[in-house]
Amino acid sequence: MKLIQGNEAISEGALAAGMKFYSGYPITPASEIMHYLAKAKQIQFINSEDEIAAINMAIGASLAGVKAMTATSGPGMSLMQEGIGYAHMAEVPLVVVNVQRVGPGTGMPTMPAQGDVMQVKYGSHGDYFPICFYPSTVSECYKYTIEAFNAAEESLSPVILLCDGYVGHLYETVKLSETKFELKTRAKKKLGEGLGHTTSLLNKNGVPNTKDPSLYEEYLERAKKKMHDAAEKYKFYEYTKNENTRDLIIAYGICARVASAFTDKYSLFKPVRMFPILSEEIEKAAKEHDRIIVIEMNAGQYSRMIQSVAKKTVHTISVLGGTIKPSKVKQALDALKQQPRS
Amino acid sequence: MVDMTCREFLEYVDLDRERIWCPGCTIGLMFKQIAKAMTELRIEKKDVVAVSGIGCTGRTAGYCSFDSVHTLHGRAIAVSEGIKLANSNLKVLVISGDGDLIGIGGNHLLHAARRNTNITVICNNNEIYGLTGGQVSPETQTGVETITTPYGNPYPQINVLGVLKSNKKFFYARSTPMHLEHLKNVVKKAIAWDGFAFVEVKSYCIENSGRRQGFKNSYDMLQTLKKYKIVGEKDDLNEDEIGIAKREG
Ligand SMILES: Cc1ncc(C[n+]2csc(CCOP(=O)(O)OP(=O)(O)O)c2C)c(N)n1
Ligand SMILES: [Mg+2]
Repeated sequence: MKLIQGNEAISEGALAAGMKFYSGYPITPASEIMHYLAKAKQIQFINSEDEIAAINMAIGASLAGVKAMTATSGPGMSLMQEGIGYAHMAEVPLVVVNVQRVGPGTGMPTMPAQGDVMQVKYGSHGDYFPICFYPSTVSECYKYTIEAFNAAEESLSPVILLCDGYVGHLYETVKLSETKFELKTRAKKKLGEGLGHTTSLLNKNGVPNTKDPSLYEEYLERAKKKMHDAAEKYKFYEYTKNENTRDLIIAYGICARVASAFTDKYSLFKPVRMFPILSEEIEKAAKEHDRIIVIEMNAGQYSRMIQSVAKKTVHTISVLGGTIKPSKVKQALDALKQQPRS
Repeated sequence: MVDMTCREFLEYVDLDRERIWCPGCTIGLMFKQIAKAMTELRIEKKDVVAVSGIGCTGRTAGYCSFDSVHTLHGRAIAVSEGIKLANSNLKVLVISGDGDLIGIGGNHLLHAARRNTNITVICNNNEIYGLTGGQVSPETQTGVETITTPYGNPYPQINVLGVLKSNKKFFYARSTPMHLEHLKNVVKKAIAWDGFAFVEVKSYCIENSGRRQGFKNSYDMLQTLKKYKIVGEKDDLNEDEIGIAKREG
């Protein structure tokens, strides 16, 4: 048993997954990851000049054949977005951790938030289909970092591990050795082994072809299917159904932790795989309830996506300003009880 | 000396791919000299990687017959540092443009040079953003008209040698596609250098800069490169000198 922090568990998870390269730029509340990994002798570690360098160095390391990761928070995530899009197009497996804080801009340094959900889904330019996991406990930080590496190798894409300042800084006593996992090894060729030409231009087998609409359509269809098929193997969520209620709470990260205090009166659906969104599972859970409530630390980013897959009205409890108080969440839940069911 | 490399260099070049370069462009000449330098150094294809950014010069990686990476605009050096840290046995050749390496990617240049990362950076300095139609670059000479400096460029060029010289150990070479043998030789020395090596290839862009300046053809522009005098290895190079400036550190 060990008392460790979410960010440290993420670092341990990365090491357990066989990560051999870390590049990062300091930012609260993610910095503990780099502080921890700076000491790891079995990896190459670099405190880069900025987040743009961090993501691009990780891309280079991954192409050279090693598992690579970088971690940041919202502002750094914005700087990494072009690189994330590149890694999708050029099929570079890697893991990007985002321990969220309040934004936009410098926001409320460095209070926790969940405001980057849409940034993960749509932050880079062009169309792409990211895989994203979101742990809500310290042992989940460990487990899902490992799974993020697996999903990255499976999908040949940059997989995002979302976290928030609360979960990243949360200390819990955990027994990491009890976590069961399998590791996916690198299947993609390395640089120097005949990898050929890697480019994010539209290409056919490494030969750029940038003027052919049908080739693009073909590419996007293939990318979509590849990401979908890979994600199918990583359907992580928890559904705690309370037979005595028609009210369902959907929450992730720290909000799922807070919501777990209300399972005596509510059902709780906790998505861990945020993207691709667990459409079938959410729709099914929503069908079994009349009132769907999403609790999240933003102005309703995931609620809108849930509403579209649940095909029902979704009520949002937005926890804003970097602080979550169970008593205030309870007040908001009580107030919703007065509203008509859908 | 007999030139042993007259055709051997083609081993490093993918001849099947359609070139995007304009007639009269010198990037191909530079690429040929790089390939010849590699031939003379007997570099095995499995031991080397070419990395480019975005731009006309950035397409060079795509014409190599060995493994290569076409990165984002400005990020060739950052990607190369990742490659090098992950596998220090690979020789990494960065081949890209002035806007890419010195403009948008300037921060990586500064820091890779400071870290003395063991890579070779070859910059085709055509003093313009060629691919995008001829906008001013940090390497455009003062007074020159470009599409975004219609009244003349008000700013001076970056002194890359000066930037590199601020480090204890450095290697900087300057050459031109007018001085092909010299270019090949400095590339060879840059590749053999243990540490961060930068080769500035002074060139030009006829289509997207030269014509706007009043040049009629590539040949006339090539003549402007005659002003450079070949000097040997020194601590410093004057503006009109081509050669090597380096410090063992
Ligand atoms: C982030 C980003 N900004 C802008 C561009 C557009 N762009 C492509 S190439 C280029 C300039 C290239 O100039 P240089 O590096 O000197 O290469 P050259 O074409 O002259 O060889 C620009 C601005 C881009 N691809 N990406
Ligand atoms: Mg240029």
